[in-house]
Amino acid sequence: MTLPTFILKNALRNKRRAFLSVSSVAVSLFLLVTLQVALRELTLPAASPGAELRLCARNKVSLTNPLPARQRAVIEKIPGVEGVSPFTWFGGEYQNDGAMTFAQFAIDPKETRRVFTDLNLTDTELAGFESEKTAAIIGKISADKHHFHVGDHLTLNSTVYPGALEFKIAGIFSGTADDRMMFFRQDYLDDSIGTPGLVGMWWLKVKSAGNMAPVIQAINAAFQNTSAEVRAESERNFQLDFISMLGNVKTLIASISTVVVFTLVLVTASTMSMAVRERFRELAILKALGFRRRELFAFILAESFGLAAAGAVLGIGGAYALYTFGDVGKMTSGIFVSFQVTPRIMGWAALVAALLGIASAVAPALSVARMSVVNGLKTLD
Amino acid sequence: MSGRGGGQYPMRDDNLTVSPGAEPMVKIRALTKLYSQGDIQVTALDRITLDIAAGEFLSLMGPSGSGKSTLLHIIAGVDRPTRGECLVQGVDVTKLDESQLADWRNHNVGFIFQSFNLIPVLTAAENVELPLLLTRLNRAQRRRQVETALEVVGLADRARHLPRQMSGGQEQRVAIARALVTDPALIVADEPTGNLDSHSAQEVLGALQALRRDAGKTIIMVTHDPKAAAFGTRQIHLEKGELSA
Repeated sequence: MTLPTFILKNALRNKRRAFLSVSSVAVSLFLLVTLQVALRELTLPAASPGAELRLCARNKVSLTNPLPARQRAVIEKIPGVEGVSPFTWFGGEYQNDGAMTFAQFAIDPKETRRVFTDLNLTDTELAGFESEKTAAIIGKISADKHHFHVGDHLTLNSTVYPGALEFKIAGIFSGTADDRMMFFRQDYLDDSIGTPGLVGMWWLKVKSAGNMAPVIQAINAAFQNTSAEVRAESERNFQLDFISMLGNVKTLIASISTVVVFTLVLVTASTMSMAVRERFRELAILKALGFRRRELFAFILAESFGLAAAGAVLGIGGAYALYTFGDVGKMTSGIFVSFQVTPRIMGWAALVAALLGIASAVAPALSVARMSVVNGLKTLD
Repeated sequence: MSGRGGGQYPMRDDNLTVSPGAEPMVKIRALTKLYSQGDIQVTALDRITLDIAAGEFLSLMGPSGSGKSTLLHIIAGVDRPTRGECLVQGVDVTKLDESQLADWRNHNVGFIFQSFNLIPVLTAAENVELPLLLTRLNRAQRRRQVETALEVVGLADRARHLPRQMSGGQEQRVAIARALVTDPALIVADEPTGNLDSHSAQEVLGALQALRRDAGKTIIMVTHDPKAAAFGTRQIHLEKGELSA
C-alpha cells in the first residue's frame, strides 16, 4: 500500500457520497463554464473582418423605427463614404418552426462587394444575387444545417411584415463573424410589402479609418432636426450597444456565477466535514501511530482536492466536449453561433475547483489539528 | 512526506530477566495530572512514582476513573501531565513537542486499543503496514515486515481480509501485529480484551505474553479483569489517582 492508495481508499469508502459529491462539483462547474462562455459570447461578439471600416446608422429613437430611403442620397454624398446599403430586418420563420433559426436582412446587392467585404462569395453567385429579384444568399452554417443548395427555393413567413416571401438561393457565403445570416434584396422586400421608401437602417463602408469619426459626425449632423434623426456609430460600437439593450447581463451572470461558486463551496465543505467527522476516531489512531498534523492535513487536503479535481475533469471537460463537438446553434435555438470554451475560461474554472478543494479542506483539517489524541480516542467507545 | 527510519526484523531478543540495578524502561517521578471540569478541578493522577523495567509485562488495574488510562496515555506520549517526569528509555516525553512526540511514538510505542480500531477499508496487511508508511522502508521491506508481524500473531493467512471479514479476536491480533510492526520497545494496551469473548481474550493475552517472552517487549496493559491481569509479570493498582499496591 502507498499513501495515495490509502487516500483513495478513504475517499471512496462511501461510494454513493463520493459519486454525489463529484457530481455536484461537476454540474456546478459545468454551469459555471456555461455562464462564463455565454457572458463572453454576449459581451464580446466576434468582430467581422473589415469591421474597422464599417459603420451603422439607425434611427435615433429606436432600432425598431425605420429610416426613410431618401437618406441614402445624402449619406452617399458625405466625403469619405465608399458604399451604403440598406439593412432591413425581415424576421422570417422557416417552415413555421416557431423559432428564428437564422436572421435575414434586406440589402442592396450592388453594394455587397463594397460594404460587406468579409462575405466570401463567388462572382457567379454574386451575379445571380444581383440579377434575380427573389435571389438570396445564405451563410454556410445555415445552409449546412438546413441542407440548402444553390438553386433551392425557400419560403419565410415574416414576423414583422404581413405574409410570406419565397426566395431562391443564389449563393452560399462564408467568412463573416456570423455565417448563419441570409441576405436578400431590399427592392424585393419593397415590392412585396408595398411600402417603398423605408429601410431598417444603413450599413456603410468608409474609405479609411481616418474617415470614421468625420463620417459619423457628418451623418448625425445631416439628419439633425429632421423627422428621422439618425445615430451613426462604428459596427463594433453598434454590436456592443445592441448587447447593452439586453440589460446588465454581465452583472446578472456574475451574480449567478457567484451563487454557483458559493453553493459549491458549501456543498464540498459540508461533504468533507462529514467525511472527516465520521473518521475522527481513525484520525486519532493515526495520530497515535505517529502521523503528524501536517500529514493528516495532507490526507484531508488530498481527498478534498481529489474530489474537486474529479468534478472539474467531468464538469469542465464535459462542457468543453459538448460545446466544441456539439451543435450549439441547435442547442440554443440559434441564439449563439459559436460557444467557445476558451483556455482562459477553463483555466478559471480549474482555479475555482482548486481553491474549492483547498477551502473545503481547511475547516476539517483545523479540527483534526486541534484534536488531541486522547480526546479523539474518547470517541472510540 | 519523508520517511522517519524504522524498526527491523527479526525482533530484538532483549534480556528477559530484569536486573535489579538496571535503568528502568519507564521512570515516572511525582507525576500529577489535573483536569478541569467547569469550576471543579479533578486530580486524575496524584504524584505517581513508578519504575517499569525493560521486558516487564505490567498489568495496570483499578476501577473506572482511577487514572489508569491517563497514566498509560502519558507513558505512551499521547497525553501530557500537569507536573512531574515521565522518562521512557531515558527520554522525558513530557518535554517533547507535538512533532517530536509523533516521531517518538512511531519509533518507540505500539498501541493496542479495546475497540481494535482497524481502518475498515484496509485489509489486515494494509492496516499493519500503516505505521510503516512513515518510515523510509521501501515497499518490499514493508511487505516483509508486515508478513513477519502477521506470522507472529498467527494471521499470515488472513492478510488480505478486511476487518469485517474477521472475528473480534482476529481483529485484535491484527491490531497487535500493527503495534509491533515497527519493532517498538514498548507496547501499551488499553483494555485489549474488553470486547472479546474468553477464548479470544486468552488468544490475545497469550500473544502479548509471547511478545514479552520471545521478543523482550515491555508491555503495559490496562485492564479491569483480574484473570487478564494475571498474564502480566507484575500487577499494580490505582485508586483515585494514587498507587494502592
